[in-house]
Amino acid sequence: MTAPRAWSVSRVNRAARRLLEDTIESLWVSGELGNWTRARSGHCYFTLKDDRAQLRCAMFRTEAATLPADPEQGMSVRVFGRLSIYEAKGEYQLIVRRLEAEGAEGLWRLAFERVRARLEAEGLLARERKRPLPPFPRAVGIVTSLGGAALHDILAVIRRRAPWTRVVVRGTRVQGEGAWTEIADAVAALGGSGTVDVLIVARGGGSLEDLWAFNEEEVARAIADCGVPVISAVGHEVDVTIADLAADHRAATPSLGAEAAVGDGARLGEVLADIRKRTSLALRRAALRHREALALRGDRLRRSASVLTRPHREVLDRSGDRMEAAVRRCFALQAARLAQAAGRMDVLSPLATLRRGYALPQDAAGRVLRTTAELPPGRRFSLRVSDGSVPCEALTRGEEGAGPS
Amino acid sequence: MRPANDGAPDPTAEGDAPSLQDRLGRLEEIVRRLEADDLELESALSLFEEGVEHVRRAEQILRTAELRVEELLGPADGLLTRPLAEEPG
Repeated sequence: MTAPRAWSVSRVNRAARRLLEDTIESLWVSGELGNWTRARSGHCYFTLKDDRAQLRCAMFRTEAATLPADPEQGMSVRVFGRLSIYEAKGEYQLIVRRLEAEGAEGLWRLAFERVRARLEAEGLLARERKRPLPPFPRAVGIVTSLGGAALHDILAVIRRRAPWTRVVVRGTRVQGEGAWTEIADAVAALGGSGTVDVLIVARGGGSLEDLWAFNEEEVARAIADCGVPVISAVGHEVDVTIADLAADHRAATPSLGAEAAVGDGARLGEVLADIRKRTSLALRRAALRHREALALRGDRLRRSASVLTRPHREVLDRSGDRMEAAVRRCFALQAARLAQAAGRMDVLSPLATLRRGYALPQDAAGRVLRTTAELPPGRRFSLRVSDGSVPCEALTRGEEGAGPS
Repeated sequence: MRPANDGAPDPTAEGDAPSLQDRLGRLEEIVRRLEADDLELESALSLFEEGVEHVRRAEQILRTAELRVEELLGPADGLLTRPLAEEPG
């Protein structure tokens, strides 16, 4: 009697696995999630259960990486996959390709709340961190998709409102695996480039899933760390993104983001005209004020001058009187001396000599005749005496030598 | 040796001239001081002249018609920019 032929364990498991995989098509299963573990390899393992049974599930790394967040224990989820057997352990399991939380946003919402909680705990979302936007930036940075409608909308607004602005764009993908790293790098590069005064991070509308890159922690941290104020301008109707929460200013659309970023040129023109008017007016008022002050000071100066000079003027007046008196006295003295001199002159005058009995011989021209030679015989002359002249004629030659002693 | 005008062409660059924002900030200060009552006439005059110059330059900036759009190149190129050709629509 030969013993029945025995199967190897491997063969049994392989046969069972084929049977299972070939018989039951891929299917959706819903249940409560438990025992979630994410292995170092990136594969995830969990169980699904209802009130009577459990199903072992595996989700491999590639599929697990698309999950926005690890689900929570006890969560109601739907999974899609195929039944199989892990041959090495002979364990029956569902190989999960997709996992969704029940409810509208499920895992996305969960992931969102987790990132938000982490950032909030670090204070990165705090209101006090929000920086004011520069009213008239010289240069605006834009992080968005180069071909996107968001960029077009933003440029249109800046061109209309503030065409003097320099715009520096860093193109990135805005959705899909790894887009968030590009966005975060672009925010860091533009913010740190020193070329822009404010940054707009933008994308057009999309579903929550499309916008997921803007819910990534990496993007939020780059925004919070950015050297210049950041405007998030992610078009979405429903809710906020993590980027919105981290940004200094949240705009509902790219166009609104651009309006927040740049001042309005028309309005600025009015402001400048007003400043022009106000400076002129202020200057005119200052000038008027100073003219009045000057006039006032002039009056005061004149008044104080007259007060200051009054004593001097009195002294001066008195001096004048005294001077006049002095002059008058001086004149009197001079007059007296003159009279005296006149008296002396009278004494010295030849007339006085004549009065003392002397006479003066003069020729017809009045020359005094002093010598005998001037009086030859027959010479006619006149003899001046004290009260007149007498005509005379020399009789003979006079004798020399007998001068008057 | 790099040519002096290396990098992005920037025909309207004002070098280190104050930005529009700087000018507006200064103008605000000037108006505030001019409207105060304790100003020397000479200071008022020089403030006024400075203010007029800022207004003039700011209005000049406002008249700029051409938006300059550049693209920041990757880290491999340093932080250079190049003019960005916009796609219509």
